[in-house]
This record gives sequence, structure tokens and C-alpha cells, in this order.
Amino acid sequence: MIFDTFQAFRSAEFAPKVVIIGSGPAGITVARKLAAKGVAVAIFEAGGEQFSPQSQAFYDGKVIGDPYFELDDTRLRQLGGSSGHWGGWCRLLDAEDFQAKPWVADSGWPIARSDLEPFLAETGDILGLPPLQADAPLSKDIRWVHLIKSEPVRFGEKYRSELAASPNLALVLDTYVTALKGDGTQVSGFDVWSAGAPQGAYPCEYAVVATGGLENSRLLLWSNEQSAGAVVPHAAALGRYWMEHPHFQCGNAVLTDADSIATSDHNDAFFSPTWRAMERKQILNFGIRLIKMPYEGMKMLVANLACTAPGTAEWVSEGLGQRLKCAAQLHMAWEQAPTAENGVQLSHARRDAGGVPRIELVWRKNDLERRTLAEGIRLFGQTLAQADLGRVRIADWIAKLQDYPVEREELGGNHHMGGTRMGTDPTTSVVDRNGAVHGMRNLYVAGSSVFPTSGQCNPTMTIVALACRLGDHLVEKIAADEAVASVKGNDAPAGGDVIPTAGD
Amino acid sequence: MPGTSRQQPSRRAMLNQLVAAAAALPLIRLLPAAPNDQHDEWVEIDGWILKRSDVA
Repeated sequence: MIFDTFQAFRSAEFAPKVVIIGSGPAGITVARKLAAKGVAVAIFEAGGEQFSPQSQAFYDGKVIGDPYFELDDTRLRQLGGSSGHWGGWCRLLDAEDFQAKPWVADSGWPIARSDLEPFLAETGDILGLPPLQADAPLSKDIRWVHLIKSEPVRFGEKYRSELAASPNLALVLDTYVTALKGDGTQVSGFDVWSAGAPQGAYPCEYAVVATGGLENSRLLLWSNEQSAGAVVPHAAALGRYWMEHPHFQCGNAVLTDADSIATSDHNDAFFSPTWRAMERKQILNFGIRLIKMPYEGMKMLVANLACTAPGTAEWVSEGLGQRLKCAAQLHMAWEQAPTAENGVQLSHARRDAGGVPRIELVWRKNDLERRTLAEGIRLFGQTLAQADLGRVRIADWIAKLQDYPVEREELGGNHHMGGTRMGTDPTTSVVDRNGAVHGMRNLYVAGSSVFPTSGQCNPTMTIVALACRLGDHLVEKIAADEAVASVKGNDAPAGGDVIPTAGD
Repeated sequence: MPGTSRQQPSRRAMLNQLVAAAAALPLIRLLPAAPNDQHDEWVEIDGWILKRSDVA
């Protein structure tokens, strides 16, 4: 069922067991899992079915620190969420990404990659992916990694008809949850804003916050402020440890043979460090994207070299001779160090039309990341040279220890991670290994905001795998809670409002 | 250890050891260089990451 307004939804008297806030990849995936198991679920989407500047304006905010994208450009407030402008790149985080790195403070997940692997097939179906290929070592330091460029799934488009047809599922558009209500042990409902006006409170039995890697923090911070900490009772890490994947062109390469490095249909290949290299150099994970350049690009690279370093240019030309056939651009994206100082804050000065404080995002890259960049490009250059696959030239700004270039396209990946990170310690995390907010019986968070660390690859596949896992967990949790309630002779949820479910 | 003592080598024995060590020096050069992480086997020229042998 699809409702264009919150008022229409209320008139229908559909009673969801679970309310999911947000209709992006995480929210829709959890909802589909629940509905398939007969659980009545409602998705509250703040935006409409299509993009609109009026809806998008709610995402306006301010960035403090390093240059970053405009906050109303880097995400989408509409059905399907930011999958509407997703590029389609897919890879699950590496097994090593889940492990704590002793040289990186606050690293490590409370789950392992093996906890997500049972959901790989399902995730592949949702995202329409071919089988993943195993990584291949290029040297003791560098491995070739398989990053899939898929046809990007627009979740709103792909699943609209399924959502509309499901008797267990209500998609409610133009329904902005402005704050959750809780008592420090569970949430009981939300404040809803729709059709340009407050609509009062709506009760819930279970809630899943899935509004995106920035908005999850904003909603929970504001809810906590409104309830004196009764929504996220352990809030030391709330909004904090926010991460991106900084992206920069980091150099060029001349390859000794056009075929020496196999590239995809998109003329690129990806490389990452081995665990051994990260440990030995005490650096973070990174991904280098090698993009082969046309012949003219190679000539320009060598000609440029001849102007600035004629001796080296002569060596390149003579030393490699007829084998000099191809050049490449090198771009790097890297794992960001999880630092508590990076995070989402609520503005004291600016609010959106619904009365919710706008975001102030504090975001800075640190010295460990800069070292990862510099060491990473050198490890890659040494690997190519050692194997006589080519030679790498480091970008001037790296070699000369200059500031990061300020180019809009190269600032990050539009990957919003952290803020409600997963962990076992409530002082450094917000949710547990299942995505449940610490101390709260019925409040969950889905999406990349639960990532404790970011790895180096695009987050969507990991987001969907986590959402599949959360869906299964919720089905089991609800069944267990109902069994307990049944034994007690009380079908009502423990505390909160009494709500009839669709199955009742 | 109690009950044992280390005997000092004679001057002649020390001289013999020194001669043997000097004779072995050329052989040491033939041993493969230990791998290192200090970029000793790499040089950077104008940003290019080159093997030392590239520019020898």
C-alpha cells in the first residue's frame, strides 16, 4: 500500500508492528524482509515519490572543517533515498576491515565479515550483482581487488510496485518524523510533520531509524534533546565518529604493456593494501583506482615529464622503449580514521521548516590519513616497478607536502558513515551488534551510520547486507517478545501505547 | 653459572679470528641484501618512484 500523505495513512487504520523511518536501501530492505515474514510494517518517508527542491531544502546544513559537498547536494530526500543518485559501485567490506587495528584508536567491529556472508546471495539479488571474484595478490603489499560496477538500483523505482501490492506493508510519503519519544528503556512513538504542518504524535511498538548517514544522527540528537536523553540513554558517541572516503587524484603511471594490468569494461582496475602492509606501515586501508588513459594522454604525460625532468623522461622512453604503450591516472580513496571529533551537531541558529535544528557537520582529515595516502601511493609505485609493470609518478601536491587540492569532484564519495556506530562499549558506540540502541528495547538503527570504521570501498553493499541481517533479527526478536507476552497472558507490548497489529 | 668460568682467549687466537673475518668480507657482499622498508632500494626523482637500478 502506498499513501501520499500521513492523513490518508491514518484514515486507513493500518496498524504496523514496526515503523521504519526512511525509504532508502536500508529502510526498504528491512521492510521487505519483515513484510515477507508477515510482519505489518510501515515506512515513513519524509520526501515524496520524486525529487523536489522543497523537500531537498530540509537537508541544507553547514560544514565546519575541511571542504566538503553541500549537505543538500550529497544526499536525496525522496522515495528510495540516496539510491537515486548512487553510482552502482559494489563490494563488501574486507574481512580485515572488521578487525581492530591496534595502531588505529577505536577501530574494530563487534561482528565479523562472516556474520554478513550468509546474506551475500540475498544482497546480490537485491542489487543485481554478478558473482564476486576473489582478490589477487600483486605483491606482498598490494592486492588487486574486485569492485563491481553494477547497474545502480534505484530502490524507489525497483520496489515501488512490490511495496504497493504488499498487504503487510504501508509506504507513507510526505511523512517527516521530527522526533522520537522514549522513556530511557523504549520508544513509544514519534512526532510527525506532514503536509506543511505538525500532525501530532504517532505510537509505535518497534522503530527502525533508517534516514541516512547524516540524518540518523540528527534525528536521534534532536530526539534526545527533546526528551532529556530518554531516546538514546548512552549518548557519549551519538553523532560522533563520522567518516567519509576522501577521494583525490594521487598520481599517474606509465605502464610497460597495455595488457600488463587487466582492466574492466570501464578501463579501470582497483588495488588495496594487504593486512601485512597496513600493519607494517601502521596505516589505514585504501583503494587505488587505475584508469587507463588514451594514447594522447600517455604522450602528454611523457612530454610533461620531459619539460620538468628530461633525464627521467629519457630513461622512461629509452628504458621502456617499444613497450611503453599506455598511461594511467591514479585516484585514491581511503579509510578514514574514526575520530570522535568528526561528527554531526545540531545548529543552535538554524532550523528547517519542521522546526528541527539543521546539521552542522564537523569534518577533518587527520595526519594518519595523510600518511596513508603518501605511503599508499609509494607502496603501489614500488609494486609496479618491482614487477616491471610500469612506473608511477606521485602527484606534486603529495610529493611536495602541499595541502589537499580543493576540487569539488574529488572531495569524497558521498559516503556518510558513523554517528551511530556499532559496538559493545556504550562510551564509544550507540548501537549493539544487532543495530539496537544501547539500553533501548525496541529502537534500532539501520544504514551506514552504524559503521564503526569505514574500510575503503563503497558502502552500499555492506548497508544492504546489514539490513538483511537486521530484518532477520527483528523477525526473531518480535516472535520472542510475543512468546514472552503470551506466557505472561498479556498481548500488549511491554510498556508504551497499546496498538492493534495488522495480524490481530 | 656457579662452578664455571670463562677462559680468556689467547692473543694468537684473537689474531686468527680477525684474519678470518677480514677474509670473509668479500663473500658478505655476495649475500642478498636484506629487504628493507626505508626506500633504500627506491629513489624518487621529480615524483617518479624508480628502482635504484633504473637510474644507476
